[in-house]
Amino acid sequence: MISLGHFLTIGGMLFAIGLIGFTTRRNLITMFLCAEMMLQGVVLNLLAFSRYHADLSGQVFALFIVTVAACEAGIALALFVSVYRRSRSLDISVWQALREPGLLPIVDREPLPPPIQDSRDPHLPVAGRKPQRQEELSRV
Amino acid sequence: MFEPSTLPLIVLGLPLLASLASSLCGIWPGCRQYAHLPTIVAFAVAAVFASILFGMMITGNHSQLLFHSVAWTWFHAGNVEVAFQLTADPLAAVMLATVTFVATWIALFSVGYMHDDPGYARYFALIGLFVFSMCLLVLANDLLLMVAGWEGVGLCSYLLVGYYYAKPTAAAAARKAFLVTRLGDAGMILGLFMLWQISGFQTSFDGIFRHLAESPPEPRTITLACLLLFCGAVGKSAQFPLYVWLPDAMEGPTPVSALIHAATMVTAGVYLLARMMPVFVLSPDALMLVAVIGGLTAIVAAFIAIGQHDLKRVLAYSTVSQLGYMFMGLGTAAMIAPNLAVIAAIFHLVTHAFFKALLFLAAGSVMHAMGNVIDLRKFSGLRVLMPVTHLTFLCGAAALAGIPLLSGFWSKDQILDVLYQASLCDQPGAGTFRFVFVCSLITAAMTAFYTFRAYFLTFWGPLKTPPEAGDHPHESPRVMLWPLIVLAIGAVFLGIVVEPFTHYFSDFLSGTPWLQEANRIAGFNEFDRPHLDGLLAITGSILALAGVALAWYAYRDGTETVGSSLRSCQRLSQDKLYIDELYASAIVKPIEAIAMISRFFDGVIHGIARLISLVPRLLAEVLKPLQTGLVQFYALGMILGMAVFLTVVIVRTSG
Repeated sequence: MISLGHFLTIGGMLFAIGLIGFTTRRNLITMFLCAEMMLQGVVLNLLAFSRYHADLSGQVFALFIVTVAACEAGIALALFVSVYRRSRSLDISVWQALREPGLLPIVDREPLPPPIQDSRDPHLPVAGRKPQRQEELSRV
Repeated sequence: MFEPSTLPLIVLGLPLLASLASSLCGIWPGCRQYAHLPTIVAFAVAAVFASILFGMMITGNHSQLLFHSVAWTWFHAGNVEVAFQLTADPLAAVMLATVTFVATWIALFSVGYMHDDPGYARYFALIGLFVFSMCLLVLANDLLLMVAGWEGVGLCSYLLVGYYYAKPTAAAAARKAFLVTRLGDAGMILGLFMLWQISGFQTSFDGIFRHLAESPPEPRTITLACLLLFCGAVGKSAQFPLYVWLPDAMEGPTPVSALIHAATMVTAGVYLLARMMPVFVLSPDALMLVAVIGGLTAIVAAFIAIGQHDLKRVLAYSTVSQLGYMFMGLGTAAMIAPNLAVIAAIFHLVTHAFFKALLFLAAGSVMHAMGNVIDLRKFSGLRVLMPVTHLTFLCGAAALAGIPLLSGFWSKDQILDVLYQASLCDQPGAGTFRFVFVCSLITAAMTAFYTFRAYFLTFWGPLKTPPEAGDHPHESPRVMLWPLIVLAIGAVFLGIVVEPFTHYFSDFLSGTPWLQEANRIAGFNEFDRPHLDGLLAITGSILALAGVALAWYAYRDGTETVGSSLRSCQRLSQDKLYIDELYASAIVKPIEAIAMISRFFDGVIHGIARLISLVPRLLAEVLKPLQTGLVQFYALGMILGMAVFLTVVIVRTSG
C-alpha cells in the first residue's frame, strides 16, 4: 500500500535534488530544469494532500502551477537565447553585472573555456535529412 | 439720462477695461503702438462721466448728496457680510474728477514720452490698472473694499516704479517703496480690525459712522484706532518717519512720478483721513499728532529739497512737504470745525494735483530733451531752447511757491488760515498748533526758495546742455506740450475760479453728508465758510515773494555757488539729513544681523538633519559587499533564510 508518506518522500526528494542542482550547476538551462524539478516536487505534495483530504482544490492548484511553469519555460528559454547571443556562453557567472558598483567580480580559479567564436546560433538541421554529428557548442 | 448711482460703476469700470485692452494690445506686435488708445479714451470718458456726476450733485437736490450703487455681496463669513458697494458724495466726486482729469493728460503726455519704449503696452496697462485701483479706493463704501483699492494702488506703484526692472536702482526703489508702505499698511490693517470691533462688527462706512456716533467708545480706544489708521496714511502719503520711499520712487518713468507720486496716489492717505473724519473727530489727540507729523514732515522735506541736485528729487521732496501741509490742515479738526479742515486739505490736494503733475511733466519734458539727464548742475539756460516747457514750468513753480493769485496761493492760504484759527483757540493743545503754524510759515518761505532755485538753475543763465542731449536738443513734440498747457491753465486759474470769492468748492464739499456728521459730532452745528484773512494772505505772499527773491539773487546766473558759511548746512541738506543712513544703521543693519544669525542657525539644523541621514548610509556601507551579482549566491541566501525560518517554525510548534 502506498501511503501519503511515500508521496511526500518522493516530492521532498524531487525538491531537494532540484535545490541542490540549482545551487551547484552553472549552466542556465540546467538551472532552469532544476527549478522546474523543485516545482514538480511541490506539485506532487499538493496532489498527495489533495488525495489524502479528498479535496479537489489541491489538484486545481497543481493545474495552475503547471500552467505557470509552462509560461515560465517559454519566457526563460527566450531569455536564454538572447543571453547566449550577447555573450556566447550559457555560464551564469558571466552575468555578474548587477553587483554593487566598486565590487570586484568573482572569478574562477581555473579559467573558463574560451568563448565560442562561431557567431552562428545553434540551429536545427533541415527536416528529412540525417543530421550530421556536430560538436556540442555549449560546454558547461 | 444716467442714474447717479450707476455713474460710479461706469467710472470705475472704464479704466479696468482699458487696462485689459491695453495688455491685449501688447500681445500682437502690430497693435503695440496703439496700446495708448484704450487707456486715453477710457480716462477721458471716465473724466467726462465724473464731471457729469459732479454736475448732478451741484444742480440736483441738495438734500440728497450721497448715492449708493447696488450692493453685491463680496464675501461673507459667519455674520460678517462684506458688500461690494460704491458710493458717491461730493468728497468722492472731487477726488474722482481730479484723478481722472489729471490722469487723462498724463496719459496723453506719456504717448510722447514713452513712444519708443519696448514696454509700451505694459506701461499703459499698468496706469489703467492704477487709475482703476485709485477709483476703487475713492468710491468704496466699505473698509475692506477700500483696502482692496489701497493695496491695488500699492501694487501698481511697485510695478511702475520698477518699470525699468533691468536697472538695479529701479528694482531697489520699487522694493523700498513696497516695503516701507507695507510697514504703514500693517498698522492700518490693525486699526481696521480695531475699528471693526468697536463699531459693532460692521465694515461699511455708513454702519461704522452711525454706530460710533450713537455709542462713542472710550477715548483711549478710539485714539489708538485712529493712530493705527494714520499709520497707513503715513506710509502711503510719505509722512515723516516713512517718507524715504518717495524720493527713491523717482526711478520710474517721469509721467509715473507725475501720476502716482505727485498727483494722485500719495493723496490716498489724505483722502483716507478726510473720509474717516467722523471717526477722527472723536479723538482730538490723534488729530493733534496728525498735525504735528504733518508740520514736521513739511519742514524737514522742504529743508532737504533745498540741497538736491536732481530736478525730480527736488519735486519729490516738495511733494512730501506739500502732503505735510495737507495733514496739518486735517489735524486742525481737533480745534475748529472739521469741514473747514477737510476743505482746506482737499482744496490743497486738488490744486497740488494740478501744479505738481504739471511740474513733473515739465521736468519729464526737460529730461526728454536732455537725453535722460536730470542733474541740475549739467544744464542751464534752457528757456531759449524750450519756450513752452519754460513757461509752463514757471506757472507750476509759481503756483507751488504760492505766488499771489495762483491756485497754490489760495489753497496754501486756507491751510495757513485754519492753522491760525486753531492756534488762537483757547482749548488745551492750542500751543501745539502755534508750533505747527510757525512750521507752516517757515515751510512756505522754503518752498518758494527751493522751487525757484530749481527753476533758475534749469532755465536761466547761459545755455548749457549735457553731451547726452546730442547736437540739437529740441522742444518736446506737441503731444507732450498740450498736456503741459492744459495743466498750466489749471494751475494758474483753478484756485481763483473755484474758491476765494465764489466759494463754489467749499459750499460743494460742505454738502458731504459724512462731513456734516463729523461737524455734528464735534459740536459745530452752523457751517462756516472759509474766509480770507487779509493779514495772513499778505504774510503768506511776503514769505513766498521773499523766497523767490532770495532764489533769484542766489541763482539768477544758472549756477550754484555756496558760500563757505553755508557749506555745512548745504551738505546736510544735500545728504538728506543723513536719515537714509540713520535708517540703514538703526534698522536695516540689525535686521541683516538677525538674518545672518538665522542663517547660521539654519545651518546648524541642516547639519543635524544630515547627521541623521548618515545612519542608513553607514548601514548600507556594511551590507553593500553582499550584492555580488552571482545568482547562486542569492539563491543560497534564500535557501538559508528559508531554512532558518522553517527551523524556528518547527521548534516552536514542537516545543
